[in-house]
Amino acid sequence: MTSAESRADRFARELSDLKISDPAAGHPRLWQRLGAAAMVAGIAAGVVAYLVSHRTTSSLTQGDAVTIGLGGVTLSVVGAAVFLRYSLTGFLRFWMARQSFELNMLAERVFSPGMLAKSDGRLDADTTRGLSRTDS
Amino acid sequence: MSRPLLELPLLELRGVRAAYDSVTVLHGVDLSVTAGQVVALLGPNGAGKTTTLRIAAGVHPVQSGRLLLAGRDMARAAPRDLARAGVCLIPEGRGVFPNLSIRDNLLMMTYTGRSREQIEELTFTRFPVLGMHASRPAGTLSGGEQQMLALARGLATDPAVLLLDELSMGLAPVVVSRLYEHVAEIARQGVAVLLVEQFAAAALSIADHAAVLVRGRVALQGHPDGALRAELSDLYLGSSR
Repeated sequence: MTSAESRADRFARELSDLKISDPAAGHPRLWQRLGAAAMVAGIAAGVVAYLVSHRTTSSLTQGDAVTIGLGGVTLSVVGAAVFLRYSLTGFLRFWMARQSFELNMLAERVFSPGMLAKSDGRLDADTTRGLSRTDS
Repeated sequence: MSRPLLELPLLELRGVRAAYDSVTVLHGVDLSVTAGQVVALLGPNGAGKTTTLRIAAGVHPVQSGRLLLAGRDMARAAPRDLARAGVCLIPEGRGVFPNLSIRDNLLMMTYTGRSREQIEELTFTRFPVLGMHASRPAGTLSGGEQQMLALARGLATDPAVLLLDELSMGLAPVVVSRLYEHVAEIARQGVAVLLVEQFAAAALSIADHAAVLVRGRVALQGHPDGALRAELSDLYLGSSR
């Protein structure tokens, strides 16, 4: 059972080598919600600042409103970034897997032994038709 | 002093509780599988068998208790980390891509780092029938052949722990027994196999150990000998004594 031993040993070693990321520590859903909340809060702060600045003639209060408005815009931009980061990650991961699979399929088709044998190792015109050149 | 590795279970659940929202479905499940061992997890519908497998694969969170892999607590690990280390779940329903050919289904497994040639050689040696229809879409294969393809895809990951969910679902008994011969062969190569089944007879024919799950609790476990089979029949059909 040497092979069993080696696979089991390797399994244990690979587990101990893993830097296990704690899914609970990342809280992706919480970050996504916080991002959305920050985005909404930022817009709300901007609207409030606008209303405050229009209901007063005091330049000091208007200065405060400008600060609140800028803070709101910043909060909104940061919130949008966080929201996009955590909402798009999952989608992009699958998209990349699909892309990589399709590229592999294309490579398999182009460099299949039959194709290469037919052209003595070089790609013929039929094979390369439709493929754009990427070198100069 | 630490125990030698082969005595140490590759997969162990200790007092595992799990829930779907507020409904607790597992109430402290204890189970272990060592390298080269086949453990059959039996039980009626809704007993929590599939949830147990999903927990072992890291797909379902553990509410409390421990999920140990080679003695290391992995209850908090992400499924992709467990898959990368060698835990492979073959879900109920086979999980093959029906519109892709057998060859393309296998090609998908090259993400593991193995080449297409290696995977095809491994698969077509073990399952020659798949080699004969390599260009056919997987959806046109018989149920047994699709299950072979699912097994082949699982084996392409070089698993240390193989989790099989309802391998026999919708298959003729003769096909099931042939598939289980393959599973026994896989275990002989040192893979720890945990298989979930509703149909006890098929699973017990190759199991080294069996556990019966009833309403989220292990009601019975032991070597699948005559005594266990009799108790199992009592549990399923009611006591005859």
